[in-house]
Amino acid sequence: MIRSPSNSVLVTLMLAALLTLLAVDVATLQPNRIVAGEGYSLRAIMGLDGLLLSLLPFMFATWLAWFANARRYVVIVVILLVYWVSWPWGMSLFAQAMIEPGQQAARVGIGPGLWVLLFLLLLMVLEVQTRLGMPHLGRWLLWSAILVSVAVPFWSGVLNDLALVREYQGNADDFAAALQYHTLLVGAVVVISLTLAVAMALAMRSHDGLKRSVFAILSVIQTIPSLALFGLLLAPLAWLSSQFPLLADLGVQGIGWAPAALALIGYSLLPMTRNTYVALDSIDPNVTEAARGMGMSRWQVFFHVRLPLALPVIVEGIRITSVQAIGLAAVAALIGAGGLGTFVFQGLGQAAMDLVLLGAVPIIVMAVLVDMALSGLAAVCRRGVANAEP
Amino acid sequence: MQNHDTPTIALDGVTKRFGDECAVDDITLAVNHGELCVLVGTSGCGKSTTLRMINRLIEHSDGQIRIEGQQIRSFDPDQLRRRIGYAIQSTGLFPHWSVSRNIGLVPRLLKWPPDRIAARVSELMAMLDLDPETFSDKYPAQLSGGQAQRVGVARALAADPDVLLMDEPFGALDPITRESLQDELLHLQGQLKKTIVFVTHDMDEALKLADRIVVMRAGHIVQQGKPADLLARPADSFVESLLGGRDLGLKHASLVPVAMRMSALNGECLPDDESVLDTDSLRDALSVMLWRDTFRLLVRDVNGNPIGILHWRDAIRGDDA
Repeated sequence: MIRSPSNSVLVTLMLAALLTLLAVDVATLQPNRIVAGEGYSLRAIMGLDGLLLSLLPFMFATWLAWFANARRYVVIVVILLVYWVSWPWGMSLFAQAMIEPGQQAARVGIGPGLWVLLFLLLLMVLEVQTRLGMPHLGRWLLWSAILVSVAVPFWSGVLNDLALVREYQGNADDFAAALQYHTLLVGAVVVISLTLAVAMALAMRSHDGLKRSVFAILSVIQTIPSLALFGLLLAPLAWLSSQFPLLADLGVQGIGWAPAALALIGYSLLPMTRNTYVALDSIDPNVTEAARGMGMSRWQVFFHVRLPLALPVIVEGIRITSVQAIGLAAVAALIGAGGLGTFVFQGLGQAAMDLVLLGAVPIIVMAVLVDMALSGLAAVCRRGVANAEP
Repeated sequence: MQNHDTPTIALDGVTKRFGDECAVDDITLAVNHGELCVLVGTSGCGKSTTLRMINRLIEHSDGQIRIEGQQIRSFDPDQLRRRIGYAIQSTGLFPHWSVSRNIGLVPRLLKWPPDRIAARVSELMAMLDLDPETFSDKYPAQLSGGQAQRVGVARALAADPDVLLMDEPFGALDPITRESLQDELLHLQGQLKKTIVFVTHDMDEALKLADRIVVMRAGHIVQQGKPADLLARPADSFVESLLGGRDLGLKHASLVPVAMRMSALNGECLPDDESVLDTDSLRDALSVMLWRDTFRLLVRDVNGNPIGILHWRDAIRGDDA
């Protein structure tokens, strides 16, 4: 007799992963950078015996997920991590077997099947983590392990024949600069828009009429497509820099960092201001009234009562804004603002998909890391504020 | 130096206008040292506004307010408020601060040394029946309504102010908790002798707590006096309806202790369960008579000794009011 699976989400993900491994190519072999690669399925690489052997632990995990309990979830997560850790090494073996010593330009690539598998593996880990109700520290350790287990083979040279790594090595200096620039741009945008948002939220609280017009303007900015906004800023900024040499000396031009930063700030202002305003506005007026009545000065009320109570929601706003800015900054590469987006658009232009990935993957990793860090921070702030239930 | 001739709080022709609207109109009121003065009236009558003008949360438009003879305008508002205890219905406790930190707020604003604050906080917690072991490190959200209100009162008393302003502090509590906190306030007031201005819309609460009741309506004082005076001679039909209309007789009876109407025991034998304490009110006694279907009750003292008898005729005779 067969019971229905106790975790149908996990079982579905696992069956999908199994099907993918059986049916879709997991690796590609390219004779050089431009020519489209030839796909290899897992069976073609490992043979039938190897295929079954390599899938055995996964099938065991699927069985565990079907009849899941807390202890089995731990076993499942270990199996998932083993697969996660082993793919770069498998890829390395594949490269050694397929590329002859003389073939300088030849390289291997991650096939569609492997991309899908990696994505599904991460979803599975997320699902198990939720089911296990892992504490924040445990999640951090888990995801750090996931990150490190991929980063180590990348930097140790094991994956030197991987197309993505080849692209990195060809652009190593540019990559470091782009990464730094991307981080700097996003950091500056977040700091500036946070400052503006706090100022506007405070102004809106004391002038009621301001609220509607400010939110109306910010919402309109939000609806302009990013490329159009960059375009709109081009002419005025070019004019400004031609009129004021000081601005030109600072590097303000129609293209480059100036319009990119302005546009990113424009997009960031709505979520940031909305969260800051709501955070400050939703504080129980009785609490501030009592604070005033006890003889706290306006500054004391703001720094000891309003701000600590508003902080979790403000940090949420910073999180949303940062993640959004990290993604949008990629588009800014189109107007010469630099950053990781440069590789994406270069790659698109040269039809070199691995160069696109060199830009896209770090952007995704950066967004996920920032998201996790700031959610953690918001949770810490919330613990300091709510203390609702022990 | 406390000069007992000047009232602790004096309002003289005080008016508050919000735009064209007159919330409080030409009020004159004096609260003496150690007096518990209750402002009572329907919502929007200006009682809360009056209270909040005393600690300058609302600035008065006209007239003069003095505390111990000095114009409140001559003080810095924050300094003034640190000298005046303030407790409100919603408690206004800081949700991100522990109970002990909340209570120590005003002493900290006054820059007391930390060990003095700690000592004062535990003293207050003991005074308000909050076990420091259990409650010091709790947060407001973990408290029941009654406990939170105790913390609110403790916070108001923290810097030992002479004047205490209380804005419907027990309004949101269930009747049993409310009653026990009222008893406790009376008990505390017996020891501390603060000058208290207390706002409520509940006439029963006013009758129970007040040394003096001030009835307000539409920004004016309609009548002020001792609870018994109000019951005996309501100024108009509004005061009468506030006092409960046909309930007035029972309200009055609740202010008269049984001891005032009992007669000596003449060897009568009355059933044990048909008895009241000499300190119980006539209202309680009449209720027991109705419930037990009897005309006479045995009166005991606190130790349980029979000391007299209460006849229903004496209970309802109204010549000593």
